[in-house]
Amino acid sequence: MSVLEVRNIEKHFGNIQVLNDISFSLEKGQAIAIIGSSGSGKTTLLRCLNLLERPDGGQIAVDGQVIFDAADLTTQRESEIRRKRLHFGLVFQNFNLFPQYTALRNVMLARELLAQEQEGFKANKRAILQEIRAGAEDLLTQVGLQDRMDNYPHQLSGGQQQRVAIARALALRPDILCFDEPTSALDPELTGEVLRVIRSLAERNTTMIIVTHEMAFARDVADRIIFMDEGYIVEEGPALEVINHPQKERTKQFLTNFSNQ
Amino acid sequence: MFMTVVGALNVGFLQTLKLFLVTLIGALPLGLVVSFGSMSRFAPLRWLTRTFVWIIRGTPLMLQLLILFYIPGYVLESGSPWPGGESGRFMASAVAFIINYACYFSEIYRGGIQGVPVGQLEAGLVLGMTRGQIFFRVTLLQMIKRIVPPMSNEIITLVKDTSLARIISLQEVIWAGYSFLKGSHGYAGLLWPIFFTGVYYLLFNGFLTLLFGWVEKKLSYFR
Repeated sequence: MSVLEVRNIEKHFGNIQVLNDISFSLEKGQAIAIIGSSGSGKTTLLRCLNLLERPDGGQIAVDGQVIFDAADLTTQRESEIRRKRLHFGLVFQNFNLFPQYTALRNVMLARELLAQEQEGFKANKRAILQEIRAGAEDLLTQVGLQDRMDNYPHQLSGGQQQRVAIARALALRPDILCFDEPTSALDPELTGEVLRVIRSLAERNTTMIIVTHEMAFARDVADRIIFMDEGYIVEEGPALEVINHPQKERTKQFLTNFSNQ
Repeated sequence: MFMTVVGALNVGFLQTLKLFLVTLIGALPLGLVVSFGSMSRFAPLRWLTRTFVWIIRGTPLMLQLLILFYIPGYVLESGSPWPGGESGRFMASAVAFIINYACYFSEIYRGGIQGVPVGQLEAGLVLGMTRGQIFFRVTLLQMIKRIVPPMSNEIITLVKDTSLARIISLQEVIWAGYSFLKGSHGYAGLLWPIFFTGVYYLLFNGFLTLLFGWVEKKLSYFR
């Protein structure tokens, strides 16, 4: 069974239809890359999955359970939406680290707050916090920042900040990790280190949705590729197929423009 | 003579200090409530709050003091709600100052809150944090960092504005200095006492300037 089922998602801002009848599914351990020009709705789609935007139509199901149905208000309660968001992690284009916390605290904070809500937290406080800390240290080591844990975001390069943000998202063990153009705000020489981290996550079968402009990266890392244009999914298929043998005219055109750059 | 003057000024300054502190204690939290009102998603509340802020910021504090102190006594059948004597004058002054400064603070808060990038809120939401947690654990400190310079300006102005309470005869430091001019103590024509009051303000504001500088430095560990 698919870990994620997206069915007929619609979204408009005012009169502008941003997403039209978006449907796709994602298998556990797979990575999907979403490509397309700016304004094609890629970012809005990610924001809908993370429930930062509320779709106007359609359903989102995780592990077979409908977590959002635009036609069913009982699936949209604010109190439950918070928990439902935890199925997804989101890495932002401009990192959005919390500037007043060190790298380590950035990774620990959300888990600490969630742990405080659990029963028996007070009794085992020390042990739980110790475990969260160890987990955060592991994650930062995993993204190559073992020497930077006590640095504040402004003391880190863009690439390092984005790697902290990835560790922060991983700390909550989301079912699906989403990346919104994770390297677009970085200097070209810093994109490599971030892409390497994402690649290693793919090798460990992390379920991911990656919105990206890095075509070669999408081809190499993703299992499947979705090409979006003007709010529609134009083409979807195995990564190599879509990049090397696009079927649709619009996809060919987009890819040609890219290779000419 | 010098000690007589200093003694009287000390008493006056104590009243100044009291009004200053009470205003801060009341206006700092009330300003936050007002700023939330002015940013409310419920339009009637938003416009009501903004109109109120416009009236308070748009009229002189001295006028507000006079209105608040004298008008209720004429309008209410039960007479003036303020107790007689200095305590009544102090209460009226404190209420007027708290309302006035809450409105100024609310605008500074609003700037501070809206100045924190929306990405901070979204990052918190995506991490499963509640809006309360995001406010207290993420945005509040960033907001405080942003508002320290404008707040220090406003608070230093407050120190000097306390002298306006003299209009309803609150016996603050300028009132104390001025009383010597009127000759009741036999030092008629001596301008020195009134000059000395300036020293009190200057020293106190010097202390506040150092304090705010220290706070700014304490918050400089992040950007």
